[in-house]
Amino acid sequence: MQNATLPTTDHNPHPVRRWLRRNALHSIILPLGITIFLIWTLFPYFWILATSVKPDRDIFVNATIFPQRFTLEHYRYIFDSSDFRVYFRNSAIVAVTTTLAAMAIAVFAAYALTRLRFVGREFIARTTIVTYLIPASLLFIPLFQVANQFNLTDSIWGLVIIYLIFSVPFSTWMTISYFNTVPSELQDAALVDGASKVRSLFTIFIPLSLPALAVVALFTFTVAWNEFLFALLLISRDSQKTIPLGLTEFVRGDTYQWGPLMAGSLLASLPPVVVYFVSQRWVVSGLAGGAIKG
Amino acid sequence: MNKTEASDSGHGGGALGADTEHPTGKRKPRFGQEWRLGYSFTLPLVLVLVALVAYPFFSGIVLSFQNKTIGGEATWVGFGNYADLLFGEQYASIFWNTVRVSLIYTFVSVTVKLVFGLLMALMVNEKFRGRMLIRALLFLPWATPTIIVALTWRWILDGSINGLVNLFRVEYLGAETLIQFLSDPDRALWAVIVVVIWQGTPFYTMMLLAGLQAIPSDQYEAASLDGANALQRFRDITIPGLTPAITITVLLSSIWTANSINFIYAMTRGGPSNSTMTFPMLAYEIGIAGGRQLGTAAAVSVLFFPLFIVAIYIMTKRMLSSEGQN
Repeated sequence: MQNATLPTTDHNPHPVRRWLRRNALHSIILPLGITIFLIWTLFPYFWILATSVKPDRDIFVNATIFPQRFTLEHYRYIFDSSDFRVYFRNSAIVAVTTTLAAMAIAVFAAYALTRLRFVGREFIARTTIVTYLIPASLLFIPLFQVANQFNLTDSIWGLVIIYLIFSVPFSTWMTISYFNTVPSELQDAALVDGASKVRSLFTIFIPLSLPALAVVALFTFTVAWNEFLFALLLISRDSQKTIPLGLTEFVRGDTYQWGPLMAGSLLASLPPVVVYFVSQRWVVSGLAGGAIKG
Repeated sequence: MNKTEASDSGHGGGALGADTEHPTGKRKPRFGQEWRLGYSFTLPLVLVLVALVAYPFFSGIVLSFQNKTIGGEATWVGFGNYADLLFGEQYASIFWNTVRVSLIYTFVSVTVKLVFGLLMALMVNEKFRGRMLIRALLFLPWATPTIIVALTWRWILDGSINGLVNLFRVEYLGAETLIQFLSDPDRALWAVIVVVIWQGTPFYTMMLLAGLQAIPSDQYEAASLDGANALQRFRDITIPGLTPAITITVLLSSIWTANSINFIYAMTRGGPSNSTMTFPMLAYEIGIAGGRQLGTAAAVSVLFFPLFIVAIYIMTKRMLSSEGQN
């Protein structure tokens, strides 16, 4: 019957199979695969949101997957009865200050490392990469001791200094890869016009790389915002805690206050997630340069 | 290395050319000027590298030869800390267990992330409606703070009826017993690995997607004309084209996976019965939380460092040479 309806496919006796072979990828495997990956990726976010708006009774007593009653009590709790506001402010100060300091250091260093000739340039560039690759966990024991020696503990400013360890090599390296894309003819032309090397940094490199620099800054901000290990090691006073550390305050011994914890997690994830959506189209190309930490 | 040097002289040659061709008279001797400018521009960077990385790095090595508690006096013990970790009664069994756990943890996580990441990258590289939005959503875990991911999954995998997975099993699958994911020594490591994979896959997807986009499409067209089927095209074009991206991604990810402490700190603290004790967690437990033996903890980090030297060396070479090509 199939052969009768489709006489042109005489040489292929199984048109259904042929159709499947031709279209299986796009009409079955692809949508199915993407749906599975989407569910796998997104269900934890559903659980954060659902938990944060359920009354405690529906979290702990008559637990249901989907919220039956809606409440904002956990959000009210973290703002009125915890130091969440302080943590949020501390995180903002730490992340912004770290980013500004790291960017200032990175822009000058990246310019020197890409466009100035001096002995040791190769060595400094190489060390920057090695530093960027050395994981903090190999350094945290001695750094803990060093921070104690220099009184960098229990203060958000100490944290800012410690965060330069990863933010400076990271932002320097990324800035280097962007400065490298500025054609050297442009700078040569400016130098011919009598501009100094310092001025060409401000009149050519920074303006041309401004969007890229903004992205570097956004990533540096995110990394500092998310940092947990050093905050855990160095901070014990509530007034100096950042959000990642502050969230663990909702865990007392074996008791997890899941409502406030998930409400706080949702709010704390917003800045990096917004940053990510804003800069999304640069993410893949930035990654291709091997510069962004996974 | 060679590539880098070649490109360096290329840059330098350009600047030199400009100098000699247009002697305006205003310019000072180029060597002196650039030295001064170069050093003053890189001084803050060098300060950070020396004070915050080199100094702690070497003081960590020194520390590993000392018996030192927090706030206490340091005494020199030679290789004592290393001997304690490798053969001593107190630490040897937990240390070798940590080696085993760290290797399983890193190897399994990296392998599955690579497979999932490759599948995801191949899918979102196809053309379909809403592709950009789906990409953005699939990459979301990468943008979420690690500690929040870990806490959330701690709650998803909760061993009570209230945890999402157990709740789902009971409500929809008719399960009658609860699974203790994180407090069962046989399951905890695998549960943590699942979470590491969940968060880490998007990084692979992004890296491999960038790799896929760099493969010229005319290669595929030519192969199609030659009668190659999808599988042959994948084997002969996609895989070889992706090899550099895969190498970089796996190296970076191995370094960072092995060294991440957040997941394990927030979900299991290395327990139950040390079944999830990876080496950063062990260093933390010995140095900060329990023993407060900074010297022994530093020795843990130093013992694991050689594993990463190779990866760091290869990556440095690669990153410098790809910079040269730009």
